[in-house]
Amino acid sequence: MADSGWSTDSAEAVYRSRDPVRNLRLRVHLQKVTSSSLLYQSPSQLVDDLIDLTTFNPQTSASGHSRGEVDEEEAVIGWQEKLFSQFEVDLYQNETACQTPLDHQYRQEILNMEASGGRKNHRIFTYTDSDRYTNLEEHSQKMTTSDTEVPSFLVERMANVRRRRQDRRGLSTSREGSIVKSRIITWEPSEEFVRNNHVINTPLQTMYIMADLGPYGKLGQSNYEQVLCTLKVDSNGVITVKPDFTDNKGPYRIVTEGEKRELWKYTISDVSPPAQREEEEREQRVFKDLYGRHKEYLSSLVGSDFEMTIPGSLRLFVNGEVVSAQGYEYDSLYVHFFVELPDNWSSPPFQQLSGVTQTCVTKSVGMDEVAYFSYPFTFEASLFQENEFFADLPQWPVLYFEVISLDFWQRYRVEGYGSIVLPLAPGSHTMTVSTWRPVELGTLAELRRFFIGGSLELEDLSYVRIPGNFKGRRLSRFGFRTETTGSVTFHFHCIQQSKAFLEPGFSWKKMQSVLGGFYKQNSVFNVLEAFQRARRRMQEARENLPQDLVSSSTL
Amino acid sequence: MAEVHVIGQIIGATGFSESSLFCKWGVHTGGAWKLLSGAREGQTQVDTPQLGNMAYWSHPIDLHFATKGLQGWPRLHLQVWSQDIFGRCQLSGYGFSHIPSSPGAHSLDCVTWRPLGDWREQLARAFVGGGPQLLHSDVVYCGADRYRLHTAAGGHRAPGAGPDPEKLCPLWG
Repeated sequence: MADSGWSTDSAEAVYRSRDPVRNLRLRVHLQKVTSSSLLYQSPSQLVDDLIDLTTFNPQTSASGHSRGEVDEEEAVIGWQEKLFSQFEVDLYQNETACQTPLDHQYRQEILNMEASGGRKNHRIFTYTDSDRYTNLEEHSQKMTTSDTEVPSFLVERMANVRRRRQDRRGLSTSREGSIVKSRIITWEPSEEFVRNNHVINTPLQTMYIMADLGPYGKLGQSNYEQVLCTLKVDSNGVITVKPDFTDNKGPYRIVTEGEKRELWKYTISDVSPPAQREEEEREQRVFKDLYGRHKEYLSSLVGSDFEMTIPGSLRLFVNGEVVSAQGYEYDSLYVHFFVELPDNWSSPPFQQLSGVTQTCVTKSVGMDEVAYFSYPFTFEASLFQENEFFADLPQWPVLYFEVISLDFWQRYRVEGYGSIVLPLAPGSHTMTVSTWRPVELGTLAELRRFFIGGSLELEDLSYVRIPGNFKGRRLSRFGFRTETTGSVTFHFHCIQQSKAFLEPGFSWKKMQSVLGGFYKQNSVFNVLEAFQRARRRMQEARENLPQDLVSSSTL
Repeated sequence: MAEVHVIGQIIGATGFSESSLFCKWGVHTGGAWKLLSGAREGQTQVDTPQLGNMAYWSHPIDLHFATKGLQGWPRLHLQVWSQDIFGRCQLSGYGFSHIPSSPGAHSLDCVTWRPLGDWREQLARAFVGGGPQLLHSDVVYCGADRYRLHTAAGGHRAPGAGPDPEKLCPLWG
């Protein structure tokens, strides 16, 4: 039965299309639901043919109307195609009712139409974007059942924006995307400026498909007009259809008010002509071409060189920063640091491995005194393990530093020593290292340090970790007195580069085996190199031989 | 042949003694780097915090680099200035940060320092404003001559940056 197929969901649907909207076509089918039409649609339900079907044929119903005119109508409507209603035909034939040029134009069209045989649609008609209805409808549309609902301030502004947009469509779209280079602030905005800029400004074109549901013969009364469908299209190709197409759903129903409640149903379907296959293909080819050319241009800019490492080596880049020092006793601090490279590590000859920051006066942040350095350093080193037999973990470079205070009176004091191993994993690391300074027993040293500066210093900074000249198995610092001082914060951004990372089956967790793999790669590379050299030597030798010898040989 | 996208924003600054701050920023790279698109330097608007002491800029940074090597990784350097009601600008701090080298979202906190003059200049700065500035601003992102400077700590700023995964094209070695 038709009842079970009703569609009650009248929410709007949003479609997107890049094709020009003038290709849009809708078919609207409107039908009054009466008992006879119901029966007519399902003749198979009558099992007993006691009553002759012809009696119920609506073609000869009591009212004498022909079914096609009264109860059913179908129309195919294009975008912004104006179909006149009876009301409009009556209205515009009267010349005094025409006020705007559009009204006059409608009048002409109606007269031409009447002369050529009347209009084809009776009940279904449309209101296009330029009709008065569209503006009024937007302005006075009620959202609630309250009697006292009036359009709010925002509604007025939005309506104004849309109306103005109709007049100046070109201007507003061109202004939307550009950045105003001069006069970013308007100190005294005019009314028009306020109206344009205070609300959302997407240009929209609207169209209403309406139906006149009055009794036949009395078409043309405006209180019987019902909105069947609202179409909104904006300049970005977004099409909003409210309610949605009924392709997969049942028809929508309208129940008219009044003494005689009638039931109408209607369906909307999309019958836009699909794009021709050749056109689609051409379009796709053009796009592919365009994107391909853009990609080529980009890759030509980028180029294809990239600095590679020697196979079998791991290159380490550290972009670091001495950020701050906090918690120290005295003021005017600076940090002096250097990087120590263990065995098997090498760095480019011009590489600077040490640095001195600026002297910074501290300031109080919370409970601490902090000094901000923000000192950048970059550091590059390569690990190259030639020796195949020592397959143990490589030692990573260490950063040693000392914090020194040098004040206005030129008192030089060591504030702390510290060290940090550069991070093994690539990525960003922020590390705070605590420091200590050596102290002497007794108050004399401290007094001297306070008044004139000068204190115990380490001769060899590597004592902070493992002294350079340490040979035994147990390190003992017994008897060495220190005092804890503040801490220094570093940022490191580490990058590691190696040919081994490109190998298939490389896993980050198997770093050890990778380093082992360096040896294999290295040896393979050596063999290949040796082969290439030998071959080159042979070719050179062959060139130097006299010609007759070469020709006679079978090489 | 490798490409790096840096997309982020300079969020704001806090901890400075003056309000009404703006920031001049720039990104410096080594010789092997080429900027494909984006603005390499810029200046934010002046922001005066109404509540609290953090000045918010939310200034976008969107850069696309192509590089032939890993040296000269991009560095972000900044100068924070303050503007008073008479329109005079005064230096509040220089700051620096490396762009992080691992792909992903990072939140960077960048500390600043400003050069100190002698006690006369400091007194003048407290009353009238103004103060020494760097002659060459590349000291901010190069450490070579820093030891000549005597500075004071400034505030700190929060740029949030995130380099997109580097598109390392296949390296046929």
